[in-house]
Amino acid sequence: MSEQVSRRDFLKLAGLGAATTAVLTGCGPASRYVTREPYQQMPEYNLVGHSTYYATTCRECAAACGIVVRTYQGRAIKVEGNANHPLNLGKTCARGQTSLQGLYNPDRVTDPIKRSVRGDVASETMNWDDALQVVTDALKNHKPSEIAFLLGTSADHLFDLVTDLANSTGVNAPVRFGALSMFEARATLSKAAENLFGQAGLPWFDIANAQAVFSFGANFLETWISPVSYTRGFSNLRKAEGLKPRGQFVQFESRMSATGARADEWVPLRPGTEALVALAIGKLVAEHHGMEVPKIFSGVDPAEVAEQADIELEALEHIAKMFAEAKSIAVPGGAALGQSNGLAVAEAVLALNVLADNIGKAGGVYLSPLAPTETEYQRPASIQEMKALIEKMNAGEIKVLFVHGGNPVFELPLALNIRGALGNVEQVISFATFPDETALESDYVFPDHHFLEGWGYQRVATGVNLPVLSGAQPVVSPLYNTRSTVDVLLTASQAAFGNALPFKDEVEFLHSKVIALMGEAGGSFSATDEESFMASFQQYGGWWKKSNGTTSASDSNVLDKTANAEVAEFAGEGEFFLVPFVSPTLGEAGANKPWLQELADSTTTVMWNTWVEMNPETAHHQGIHNDDLIKIISEAGEIEVPVYLYPAIRPDTIAIPFGQGHIAYGRYATTTDENGNVLQRGANPADLLSIHFNEAGDLAFAGMKVRIEKTGRTKPLSRLESRIGVYNEGMEGH
Amino acid sequence: MKIDLNLVGAKGAIAEAAEGKWGMTIDQDVCTGCQACVAACAMENNLSFVGEEDAGYGRTQHWIRIERFWEGEYPEIKATPNQPMLCQQCGHAPCEPVCPVFATPHSDAEQLNLQVYNRCVGTRYCANNCPYQVRSFNWRDYHIDPFHANMVDGKLVFALHNQFNPDVTVRRRGVMEKCTFCIQRIHKAQDTAKAEGRDVFDGEFTTACAQACPADAITFGRVDHHESLVSQLSHHERGVKHLEELNTLPRVTYLKGA
Repeated sequence: MSEQVSRRDFLKLAGLGAATTAVLTGCGPASRYVTREPYQQMPEYNLVGHSTYYATTCRECAAACGIVVRTYQGRAIKVEGNANHPLNLGKTCARGQTSLQGLYNPDRVTDPIKRSVRGDVASETMNWDDALQVVTDALKNHKPSEIAFLLGTSADHLFDLVTDLANSTGVNAPVRFGALSMFEARATLSKAAENLFGQAGLPWFDIANAQAVFSFGANFLETWISPVSYTRGFSNLRKAEGLKPRGQFVQFESRMSATGARADEWVPLRPGTEALVALAIGKLVAEHHGMEVPKIFSGVDPAEVAEQADIELEALEHIAKMFAEAKSIAVPGGAALGQSNGLAVAEAVLALNVLADNIGKAGGVYLSPLAPTETEYQRPASIQEMKALIEKMNAGEIKVLFVHGGNPVFELPLALNIRGALGNVEQVISFATFPDETALESDYVFPDHHFLEGWGYQRVATGVNLPVLSGAQPVVSPLYNTRSTVDVLLTASQAAFGNALPFKDEVEFLHSKVIALMGEAGGSFSATDEESFMASFQQYGGWWKKSNGTTSASDSNVLDKTANAEVAEFAGEGEFFLVPFVSPTLGEAGANKPWLQELADSTTTVMWNTWVEMNPETAHHQGIHNDDLIKIISEAGEIEVPVYLYPAIRPDTIAIPFGQGHIAYGRYATTTDENGNVLQRGANPADLLSIHFNEAGDLAFAGMKVRIEKTGRTKPLSRLESRIGVYNEGMEGH
Repeated sequence: MKIDLNLVGAKGAIAEAAEGKWGMTIDQDVCTGCQACVAACAMENNLSFVGEEDAGYGRTQHWIRIERFWEGEYPEIKATPNQPMLCQQCGHAPCEPVCPVFATPHSDAEQLNLQVYNRCVGTRYCANNCPYQVRSFNWRDYHIDPFHANMVDGKLVFALHNQFNPDVTVRRRGVMEKCTFCIQRIHKAQDTAKAEGRDVFDGEFTTACAQACPADAITFGRVDHHESLVSQLSHHERGVKHLEELNTLPRVTYLKGA
């Protein structure tokens, strides 16, 4: 941070000064910090014709990018990146940009509501006093062991509050879940890091400073873990500067993702052979260096692996040569880990980095820095842990379930039947901002503020090699009759348990957590008194260390381990491997934002719907054309999806994006028939997933085989690119 | 240098000297096709979304879109480098002379193609004549479609309207629109600089797409200032201009991807 104050910084500072004044002089909970005034008496910092900028943290995914929101006369106008924030350095993704369409979405839950029949959209409005009484009674009238919290992957301050509540009262520790963590198999990556290096957590891959990147299914330019940060890394990898050559990029995957589309070499290996290929490359690299082949790589025969993986041995040798001759980094992720042998894949790929001797070095793999304010990164639950929770619900051990931040009814595999499990819970209370599928299955919805209206902080789990606590503050006053869930829980828990959480309100709770950083050396700012420290925390959008602390990790005996060199097992019958992937534009929860729906998918250009990608040759043999609606049948279920002839997918593989298929979640996520009845928009591939786990407890979502049936019907997909002339369509008269 | 491009015989040496004022470079080698620019543009410029059906008819209001093509056949298939396509702000714009009502004139001051919304009568000749296909037409009053509204106390309330950028007009049905190089940002920066008695400096502001781009593929600035970053990049050895053979004098330089 330079000493000079730019105009924008000045405005931020000016806005902040006024906000702090309000803190000191205001009264009443939550709303005292930001008030909505009629325009005749605008707040003094709100100059006519001038915008005010507030720094906060994006919560569209769990990456925790810093944003600065431009507000104008009390309205949020535009999301911009926070240039100071070390994670995203002023940049944003499409989901962050459109978060304002979530804030101003016409389908938000505007008041606390009570539902007499679960699953029925009909509901009656309550007032907050009654709502608080419901939460208080729920906490008071049940044994602590009968109360559970299911939280999303963001809103870390809420997670910390509920964790504190669990520690002091004995209610069940909160479980976190999000579809992204399922499709990224985060538990697997974390477990592999623990097995190899003795430290659990998501490693950070410094691709910017590498010369060659070898990615095994990691879709790091789309939604994977911290896409904005990784996109910057990729950009720097590609830029040749001085002596630094343009970096190379090799992607191994059976279906070309938007990430794979940018690779120099795209290797369409047979699904399930990722671990073998990684080990074979390790062996070839060791041989190239003329060193003794480490034990971990010694169990494979490259020629045999090439055969199993359906790639040429020469191609494998060529890639190994690339790996050996450059400063290389190998990245495991995505569908490669979501298979029965996912943990072996992650370990084999991480072992390649040990072979490249890049652990903890520039251009290499860093184990995640310890997050500030908590000593341990709170990773989301694996599907095995979710299954355990569902079994408890089914057994009647959970009487009250609080849900915040996620949409498990939509995101979890249908085969887990969480909808049925909720039926065995006496009381389901949702804090959803949107009327999503889970809120529809709840008895009460006590809406939280949208994240742009609320306080908070996020720990940056990975994405930069620094400990970062990203700060959040309201950029506009709450639009509707919503209330911060932290405030609701504070009030209710004090009424139910006495002074279990002795905080007046959310801001005081945040203060107690954040102020612990004040004594830490090497921070991005320092202050001598608490008020200034908190003011700076909000102004800069967070606190981070200027250099990485020590993260000790031993990689000394990794190469002497024995690797599990087997092909993954696939569940179900059928001729196609199924690859579900998170839609690069929608992410896990973007379907309610109309502009995200209207962004063209970057590989297919499809908008507003679900498609299934099929190799044109395969489709030709089956007599299937573009837009033909086909039924996909797995051992767990079936869905109908229109076909997109996709030239960059293995002939034995089909792929479906996750993100659509909502039956609730607002007018843009669903569709309506001519009578105004709400219909499902697209289809949800989670309906196809059967329940098989890898060794780390993550779902083997990419470990399935499926069959297809023609329906004889078509559903034209809206796409940005023209179909005319592609596969001779529309050219019949020529 | 001010050049009258309509002068007979001006197309040629004189025209080539007209490098324009504001320009952009797009590095196709680092563009990941993530659509952040498209979303940022939509949020900044009050672009309307048109819904699934109209989108299928090609009526989307994308001022910038990302093109990609396929080369080869499986398994030797390659996606070509992503090509963000937007109004090239041609020095010699084919859209301009065909407008019967002068709704798309050339700005002398900023060297940009303007679109005067309240003059446009919707002939769509300009879109027909644009070789880059970057103009989009408002086929309906998308913003005020009651579908987006809620009935509150007997009135239609459009919650999404809260987000409108007050610096940018909201367009009605029957009007053509296109990328403006975020002219509202240009003007704001110029006003600020003028009030402070200085010139706008390189990098003081940028367009919404360039600001969002996580890969830093887009650079915007003064191409006629030779020390500016965009000017230097536009003379990069990888630099090409699209459909240059049409003598449109595009202001956007693409740095070819590998």
